[in-house]
Amino acid sequence: MLEAGICKYVVITYGHSALWGGGMYQMLLQLTGNEAAFGHFGAVGGYALAAMRGMHEFSTGPETWKHIAMGQRKWANLNPAAMMHKKAMSEEDYYNAPMVVEPLRLFDNCLINDGGRAIIITTAERARDLKQPPVLIAGMGHHNPSNEIGQAKYMAGPTGAKKAGEAAFQMAGIGVGDVDACQIYDCFTYTVELTMQDYGFFGRGEGEDWFKGGTIEPGGRMPLNTSGGQLSEAYYMGLTPMSEAVMQLRGQCGDRQLGPKTNTKEPEIILCSDNGGILQSNACYIFRKG
Amino acid sequence: MSYDQLTPTPDADSKPFWDACRNHQLMFQKCAECGDVRWPPSILCPQCHCRDAEWIESVGKGTVYSYAIYHQAFHPAFAAKLPYVVAIVQLDEGPMILTNIIGCPHESLACEMPVQVAWDDVSEECSLPKFLPIL
Repeated sequence: MLEAGICKYVVITYGHSALWGGGMYQMLLQLTGNEAAFGHFGAVGGYALAAMRGMHEFSTGPETWKHIAMGQRKWANLNPAAMMHKKAMSEEDYYNAPMVVEPLRLFDNCLINDGGRAIIITTAERARDLKQPPVLIAGMGHHNPSNEIGQAKYMAGPTGAKKAGEAAFQMAGIGVGDVDACQIYDCFTYTVELTMQDYGFFGRGEGEDWFKGGTIEPGGRMPLNTSGGQLSEAYYMGLTPMSEAVMQLRGQCGDRQLGPKTNTKEPEIILCSDNGGILQSNACYIFRKG
Repeated sequence: MSYDQLTPTPDADSKPFWDACRNHQLMFQKCAECGDVRWPPSILCPQCHCRDAEWIESVGKGTVYSYAIYHQAFHPAFAAKLPYVVAIVQLDEGPMILTNIIGCPHESLACEMPVQVAWDDVSEECSLPKFLPIL
């Protein structure tokens, strides 16, 4: 629509009052339908089923997920807007937190919060005349392999992220080696692992080795969810990852800014993901500094 | 919605399934064109989009595709049942359904373990297909 001149600007918004009014509970019930009769509710149960299948098919589990939860928390500790800004997380904290739906512990789950976020899209030409430094969309890909959990035979991957990632990389004309940082939709820690695995950052079952040693943390070689993400900053669906990618590429991230300030590479290219249902849809976006 | 019991609300597609459950029969649609046996019930085959299907009765045996153990009650009706097991069972006829595994110590749960249907008559109007390990 922008390229065709039908509109000049598109605003993408997300707002949620998840902490009051029972809206989140209603959404979870609607997501579940008749499965509530079996005590199955919403997202965490579905992702717990997926994570358990992942543990059956390849090497994964809390030993991998703790690196994701703790690494993202370190970024949140640098972000004054993050809900968990002042709360450190040790390995002991991770393991001692209560199980929600096994195998997922409390800190494997994203946050629930009130709030909203928005991004504005326009043509590259128009963006160059605006006040803020532009960020360009270099590539995108979507893939939606099913709409029913009962038809989902890919809980251990490859999910829709495989084809979505391939399409985005092809459009951008780059490979995983060209990516400076990632902002990955993180409803649960397992989602981050599976998405990165399906995008090709590491081989199947190699996640524990890849994440350990501070890979995604400040100072790491592949900074990931640098606002704290939905696990430790706040949940705004796909706009948590996308807004952070844009602000990082503009150099507007304060103490958590990628580059010399956090002993990381100054970013030119940031990869983002979004994910829907129980791993039933995936969108991959590659942003480039304008 | 009652807070002491959650029961399915059948729609036009799923009513034959839930009606059969009251007679302790597990019924699934089998596509007349490609033979895919599907869940949930629908007017079209999700594989080939054919509209014609026959209802077949499952013998009620299958394997656990995955399972998860609830340690928190998301609804008051389940508070007294914690911890309980939700699973996706792949029936021998093909379809995968969401259900509960009962009668199994949690440390013995495993993906791919064989299970068979065990009916839970929650009311005169509703029987839920749950699954027991085949020992």
